[in-house]
Amino acid sequence: MRMRSWVAMLAMGLSLGGTLPAHHSFTAEFDDKKPVKLVGKVTEMKWSNPHSWIYIDVETNGKTVNWALETGAANALTRRGWKKGDLPAGTVLTVDGWQARNGSPTANVGTVTFGDGRKLFAGSSKESSTTK
Amino acid sequence: MTGAFPRTTDGKPDLQGFWQAPRGAAEDLQAPAGKPDKLTTKGVVEGGAIPYQPWASAKKLQNFAQRKAADPVGKCYFPGVPRIMYMPYPFQIFQTADQVAFTFAWSSTYRLIPTTGKPPLHEGLESWMGTSRGHWEGDTLVVKVTDHNNKTWFDMAGNFHSEALEVVERYTMLHADTIDYEATIEDSKVYTKPWKIHLTLGRQKNLQRIPEYECQAEKEEASGAFEPDSRTWYPKPGAKPAPPEKDATASSPLPPGGNLPDVAKTGEVLRRKTDGKPDLSGYYQADNGTANQGLERHEKIQFTPATKGVIADPPGGLLPYRAWARKEQINRQQPERGYDDPTAHCFVAGVPRSMYVPSPMQIVQTPQYLVLLFERMSWRVIPLDGRAHVSDKIRFWQGDSTGHWDGDTLVVDTTNLNGKTWLNEFGDVVSHAEHVVERFIPVSDHKIIYRATVTDPIVYNRPWTIEFPLNQEAEELLEVACHEDNGDLQHLKDIRDEFRALQKKEKK
Repeated sequence: MRMRSWVAMLAMGLSLGGTLPAHHSFTAEFDDKKPVKLVGKVTEMKWSNPHSWIYIDVETNGKTVNWALETGAANALTRRGWKKGDLPAGTVLTVDGWQARNGSPTANVGTVTFGDGRKLFAGSSKESSTTK
Repeated sequence: MTGAFPRTTDGKPDLQGFWQAPRGAAEDLQAPAGKPDKLTTKGVVEGGAIPYQPWASAKKLQNFAQRKAADPVGKCYFPGVPRIMYMPYPFQIFQTADQVAFTFAWSSTYRLIPTTGKPPLHEGLESWMGTSRGHWEGDTLVVKVTDHNNKTWFDMAGNFHSEALEVVERYTMLHADTIDYEATIEDSKVYTKPWKIHLTLGRQKNLQRIPEYECQAEKEEASGAFEPDSRTWYPKPGAKPAPPEKDATASSPLPPGGNLPDVAKTGEVLRRKTDGKPDLSGYYQADNGTANQGLERHEKIQFTPATKGVIADPPGGLLPYRAWARKEQINRQQPERGYDDPTAHCFVAGVPRSMYVPSPMQIVQTPQYLVLLFERMSWRVIPLDGRAHVSDKIRFWQGDSTGHWDGDTLVVDTTNLNGKTWLNEFGDVVSHAEHVVERFIPVSDHKIIYRATVTDPIVYNRPWTIEFPLNQEAEELLEVACHEDNGDLQHLKDIRDEFRALQKKEKK
């Protein structure tokens, strides 16, 4: 059951907790009271600093909305071994995050899960956390 | 003809000092046909013309026609190499046996050029400034620059390249005050053959330090996009700190160096330079928990986990705020104030915040200077001769620092700050009266204890001290082209504008 496995992955994803953005106030831009769960196909991965952005098409009630998802800095992803081409257009992702306060289809990413259960950029937004 | 020039202790030409290219090249590398408006120059391209492919010639003309709006430097984006070398602003060169570093006045840009012969750790990552690797050929420093993006121009006239660009620079000292600069430019997608530019860099004898020209901040302040705060910015009208609100001596500050392991007893061996001073150079990551999200100890706040904070003094782990400043700090935590944090605009983080933004730094150390290069593209240059600060009227985002060795501890004194920075995303406050004394205390061959005591009588009732380790890692700096890719600022502005509109409505 496709849906069931996604629910399971979401449950796993949630346990990783929230994000710690590195360059601007998370709570100013995103709303912790607006958690979002999105399933969609990647249209673009923007590999950039201070944050990378994943764009996905999400279908809701027959309408397709392109969501902008803020994730870790390209430099942090690079140091974790990720490469620009690792997320080709068409990849199906499940995303758990928090929507922007301005109500636009923009979210800060908590966890992103591939169809096979692998986590994308696991911990990538935790740049602020202690580095040993 | 070359004359006498200084050499480093390892026998290489000593390029160190303050330099600037003559005007002209920044406007147009080529000698333009006729005199299209004010862009007049003799040209620095060998042979006179850039060998564009036909399609590229047409594109260049198009760029020229649109140059006022389309020049990436007009948007304060990084100029790339070679353009940064002939911008009409000075820069400083530092040189060690295995590195050459450049710090530029323009937007706190820097270049770090390893000369060890090792390839870059992360190849194939395009950036605005490219990736530089250097080596010496006799008395010439040769630098190969690769991994450029396709967004920079060479000048204000729209001369351009693609991401296939490769630049080979040659720095040759002609005499003590002149460097011959040659760059060979190759890009098979845009030109029919490689071509060269050639100019001379002149020593800037009157400079004692590189000033700041923060392009984006200047622009946003001029347009009103970034607004002054008269309570903290320099100069505050009639600024004179009031006496402390309570007994400032109630708890005495930490003694310098107190509570730290005595290196002589731990058995740790410090790295040392040939001059006997501790060698602090290397790539470092601060281990500061969530200092950029608040210096004080606190319980879990929304997405920020509970923390002990990084405050070593006062003992309670809270900042000794004056009442107005605590009120301001709390107000800054409202969503509509997120836009007011200068780092949300990608401005320079200031002191001490530059030391704990969650992004690495590189320390370059010469006998005369400690240079801090921050991945989030800014620098601090600390002369080690214990010199006096610049005039109080001169203010910088990173302040004016002067350092000296106290045994194995490097002590850095910083004043002349502009009061525009926030201490973190949580809105901790600092003003132009800020005075920072930092101690870099090496405790092993890969760890420095960083301690900063901040005195700011406009904001605080007494001095306070933060402390955390800087850990050396086997990594290399990458580029953060922050405001070029800043997707967040518009959201933050929307939130602020919506709040202001609501306030206005309520008033009516």
